[in-house]
Amino acid sequence: MTNGWCDVANADVVLVMGGNPAENHPVGFRFVMEARRNRGAKLVCVDPRFNRTAAVSDTYVPIRAGTDIAFLGGLIHYSLSTGKYQADYVRQHTNAGFLVKEGYGFENGHFSGWDAAKKSYDKSSWQYETGPDGFVRTDPTFEHPRSVFQLMKKHYSRYTPEKVSEVCGCTPEQFTKAAEMITVAAAKDKSGTVLYALGWTQHSHAVQLIHTAAMVQLLMGNIGMPGGGVNAQRGHANIQGATDMGSWMNLPGYLKIPRASQTALDAYLKANTPKALRPDSLNYWGNTPKFMVSLLKTYYGDQATKANGFGYDWLPKLGDGENQSWGYFFDRMYAGGLQGMISFGMNPVANGPNTAKMLGALAKLDWMIVAENFETETAAFWKAKPLASEYYGEAPAPEDIKTEVFLLPASCFAEKDGAFVNSSRWLQWKEAALDPPGDAKLDQDIIAELFLRIRALYEKDGGPSPEPLMAMSWNYATPRSPLLAEVAREVNGHDLATGRRLSGFGELKDDGTTTSGNWIYSGMWPESGNLMARRVQEDPTGLGLYPQWAWSWPANRRILYNRASVDNTGKPWDPTRAPLKWNGQRWSGDTPDYKADAAPDKFGAFIMNAEGVAKLFAADLAEGPFPEHYEPWESPVPNPMHPEVSFNPVAKVFTSAADKQGTPDKFPYVGITYRLTEHFHFWTKHTAGSSQLQSNFFVEIGEDLAKEKGLKSGDKVRVSTARGKVEGPALVTRRMKGLKVNGKIVHQVGLPIHWGFLGHVSGPLINNLTPSVFDPNSGTPEYKGFLVNVEKIA
Amino acid sequence: MTTTVAKLVDTSLCIGCKACELACQEWNDQEFTLGTFDGTYQTLPDLEHNFWNLIKFNEFERDGQMSWLMAKYQCMHCADPGCLRACPAPGAIIQRPNGIVDFVHDNCIGCGYCITGCPFDVPRLSPKTKKVYKCSLCSDRTSVGMAPACIKTCPTNCLTFGARDELLRKADSRAEQLRGNGDQDAGVYNPEGVGGTNVIYVLRDAKNPESYGLPKDPGIPWTLSLWKGPVKWLGSMVFLGGILGAFLHFVRYGPKDHGDEHE
Amino acid sequence: MSMNKQISRFDLTERAIHWMSAISFVYAALTGLALWSHKLYWLASVFGGGPTVRGMHPWGGVLFAVSLGFMFRRWARVMQLDSDDKVWMKNSHLYAMHRDQELPETGRFNAGQKMMFWMQSAFAVLLFASGLVLWFPEIAPRSARLLAVLVHPLAAIGSIGGIILHIYMGTAVVPGALRAMTRGTVSQGWAASHHPKWFRELSKH
Repeated sequence: MTNGWCDVANADVVLVMGGNPAENHPVGFRFVMEARRNRGAKLVCVDPRFNRTAAVSDTYVPIRAGTDIAFLGGLIHYSLSTGKYQADYVRQHTNAGFLVKEGYGFENGHFSGWDAAKKSYDKSSWQYETGPDGFVRTDPTFEHPRSVFQLMKKHYSRYTPEKVSEVCGCTPEQFTKAAEMITVAAAKDKSGTVLYALGWTQHSHAVQLIHTAAMVQLLMGNIGMPGGGVNAQRGHANIQGATDMGSWMNLPGYLKIPRASQTALDAYLKANTPKALRPDSLNYWGNTPKFMVSLLKTYYGDQATKANGFGYDWLPKLGDGENQSWGYFFDRMYAGGLQGMISFGMNPVANGPNTAKMLGALAKLDWMIVAENFETETAAFWKAKPLASEYYGEAPAPEDIKTEVFLLPASCFAEKDGAFVNSSRWLQWKEAALDPPGDAKLDQDIIAELFLRIRALYEKDGGPSPEPLMAMSWNYATPRSPLLAEVAREVNGHDLATGRRLSGFGELKDDGTTTSGNWIYSGMWPESGNLMARRVQEDPTGLGLYPQWAWSWPANRRILYNRASVDNTGKPWDPTRAPLKWNGQRWSGDTPDYKADAAPDKFGAFIMNAEGVAKLFAADLAEGPFPEHYEPWESPVPNPMHPEVSFNPVAKVFTSAADKQGTPDKFPYVGITYRLTEHFHFWTKHTAGSSQLQSNFFVEIGEDLAKEKGLKSGDKVRVSTARGKVEGPALVTRRMKGLKVNGKIVHQVGLPIHWGFLGHVSGPLINNLTPSVFDPNSGTPEYKGFLVNVEKIA
Repeated sequence: MTTTVAKLVDTSLCIGCKACELACQEWNDQEFTLGTFDGTYQTLPDLEHNFWNLIKFNEFERDGQMSWLMAKYQCMHCADPGCLRACPAPGAIIQRPNGIVDFVHDNCIGCGYCITGCPFDVPRLSPKTKKVYKCSLCSDRTSVGMAPACIKTCPTNCLTFGARDELLRKADSRAEQLRGNGDQDAGVYNPEGVGGTNVIYVLRDAKNPESYGLPKDPGIPWTLSLWKGPVKWLGSMVFLGGILGAFLHFVRYGPKDHGDEHE
Repeated sequence: MSMNKQISRFDLTERAIHWMSAISFVYAALTGLALWSHKLYWLASVFGGGPTVRGMHPWGGVLFAVSLGFMFRRWARVMQLDSDDKVWMKNSHLYAMHRDQELPETGRFNAGQKMMFWMQSAFAVLLFASGLVLWFPEIAPRSARLLAVLVHPLAAIGSIGGIILHIYMGTAVVPGALRAMTRGTVSQGWAASHHPKWFRELSKH
């Protein structure tokens, strides 16, 4: 979240789209309710299903899964064509006035630079036009035809309410009503927030989708504002922490993963340290060398010296253009390209796409270690066929599986101390509530044991490239059982000369004299103590920032980009909602997202961007500088925007034997998967309480489709895709209706995810249906919108 | 004087998360069972002897406008409780000074008259213990100044606990706010037929409480009133009058001559 | 023929049925009264406590209903009202004033006894039906239960009221009647005086 849960209470309008906070974030949803109660805020809910959030919304708009960019593009068009955007904000704080190089264009679904043979873009035509001083040329009047503003206006001119209706399936009136509510926030004294979750991230064009939301929020002048922002609601207590610490395909603190061609630290830093694009750009990522060197010093301690590039050589490196996020490595595993896997805190058989492929992939491993609280479907993947052959008939039989599985009993969250990082980016320290049961061990003990024993084996017997293991620093009081407090202090970092812990990333140096295991976390545990354990409920700004409650990254900042809440003279857009105040010398209020003593006109408001302002036009992503609507991989209709380029041309589609694609003639309906409030992922089917609240898997089907199929609630149905099938009782509801898309009625089928072949209650694994198709930027699978068929079976 | 306490259920803020259901189960030490699928999101089709707090989900459509109403259902703690009126066992159902209607299971004889007397169909007989159960408004918590478990756990502040008068005022002003916000029929549900309830609802459509699963005009059933009033007097008259009449008759007429002079 | 000679009025079966119904009735009535009013709840303690009373009262009722069934089979025919009975009923106050001679002669049962039989039978049906509803509140529909809570006490009032009269008549007003139901016999004088028609019929045989 750019802002945070408490801050939602400051909103005048809340757009919930690609998320269902009433069901999946009920505790955070209290702040939506506070905004409604205390400010009379409007709640707009856009979703394929009339869900529990829709039930309490002011307006609900049904849309077809996977058409969110069309809806948001429609909002951009609506805002620009009606003048409902905050013009001063857009002028001062965005790149709307930047000029783009000649040669940029968009035609028939492709941006300029498309290479049909390589199936990728040459991004050179997406760059800004620079002047002789090396800086980007701008036109503050926005009139230049190659200004970002004019290009944006042109790009989204196609997204009329009628077109939105044709693509999304809502009526133009429904769209316009929502657009009117949302664009109220264009006024300087109004704020609107956007809450989203996996309903946005689980698409083959997910990152662009969120980019579209950011554009809408920039046009509304909502970024950096209390009650504004683009807010991702995280689905696990600590998934934010996992992402921050780089447990996907990054280094901690969102530092890029080294590539094979970056053979030395200098090359890496050169490639990954941006240069300021405007003279007033603070360009904070210019400090990348400090973050990287401090990270390497944390990893390798005394072994990291200036002479050896601080141990940069020991970091694993990916081939250029290579992707090792999990969707990709499971594809390699399926092809027999992996020997073993260690699985911690994840249940890929349950939550990975295309269960048959997951089961097949694990069977190709020689060994697998699973550390878990329960015996999960992953640990017991070899039981899938005997336990539920009706769903996993294609899976290998136990006697044919050679994989050696080690299930290590691990501790659950309540049995560990340490910090959770929540959606609000708060690092909240917690204490262990109880000891792990039986033989269960703390995760860090399991990792330490593995590390120490493997290193001992290397010492004894040798092996290929032992250096990274040998050089790794491991300075814990009890090496076999590191305290999480020790790890946290290590992540915070310290000054190697004095031994003093750092008070923030501002103290980091690129000469090897400081350490920090994650620069954005630096300052959480300074000399004064563990700030994550704070529970002070004071709120000096009255905006619900609670600066002394736990610690928020970065630098205890509660609202990211808060500098954009004031104009370039230091005046807040809305004096009643000003997280920052400039007194002529210094900023007060929230931790400024800016230099603490720099005048408001000194730098651009967006210090993390090389532009110094926010990017409406962004060449960073794979599909293009502006988001464009592409259909899901499996779609019931050709793309009404450009049928010849229907699907995202750069999305990742795998082509193994298990990756079968369905067509609308055989699978005419749109399937979507989602969570229910009663359960937490694939865990709570193991607990009696949650299992009672929702014991049964079911298939949500609209009344119209049920009538067509002769179904009533409770009838058993089979839902199938090109990949697999699930069975369960139908829940027939008026809350889901057929949508008129491109002149054709499209029905959607709701598929809650929470069951599996193990647990207190059981049912089919829903990902038996889903395709392994991934967003090219994030590597997230497309679970929202795939083709299914529905049959009555009893 | 003890303040009358109450629970306010602001249905406009209910998101059907069922946290109250689980909190109720856990605090009251109920054994978890499995839910039954009845084609809705409801945990169970209705309250059970071991499930005292159920969110009812009701779908309906008016003028093309979809509504999915959620409201928790439990004992209403009536000011004039039908269960208490019907109960034959002294001390089995008590109305505490703070207004809580509580079942004292040591005194309960399991006759089930309270089930019949309740206009909201709340009490449930346990086949195992042969006693009747329902929400106690966590009288074990409230007696030591804690809020009931459901209220403690509610994430959206849909549920509040406090002095009844204050909550009624709060409910009225919230209903007014909702009316101002476009819900013309928003109002407070505090049915007079049972003397008002200590569980008060704010409904977005107070004209149709049935759409939330609440009875429109609940009251003490007339047969119950008749039974516990005039019928009781009639009985006393017949029993006492019969005995008295017999006595007077005997005094006046004595026994009949049995026709056997020689006895 | 001496008027002191004992003749049989109720055979063993009849007496057994009567006392079975009497005991079950009294049990059901007293346990019922315990649940009728909080003031009489002390009766519950006498009969083993509230839960026991709640558990056993219906069974008392069942026993009563069964014995009444036997009784009905046995006496339904002899309890048929005839034209004399109607005259008797019209002038029943004379019976209360012991001016029995002014009434039509009675057979084995007089019209008052017959009415008691029919009324108790009717009340028993009502008590049994409503009792069954109240016995299983979780099965019976609420509308039935709401009716039953009214019907059950009303029928009980009628029934108990009738039994008060019955016991008074049988013990205090008509000496010898109790013996008829305990030992089964009455004197010929008793029979000739209270049930002359019956006595004559007996004498014929």
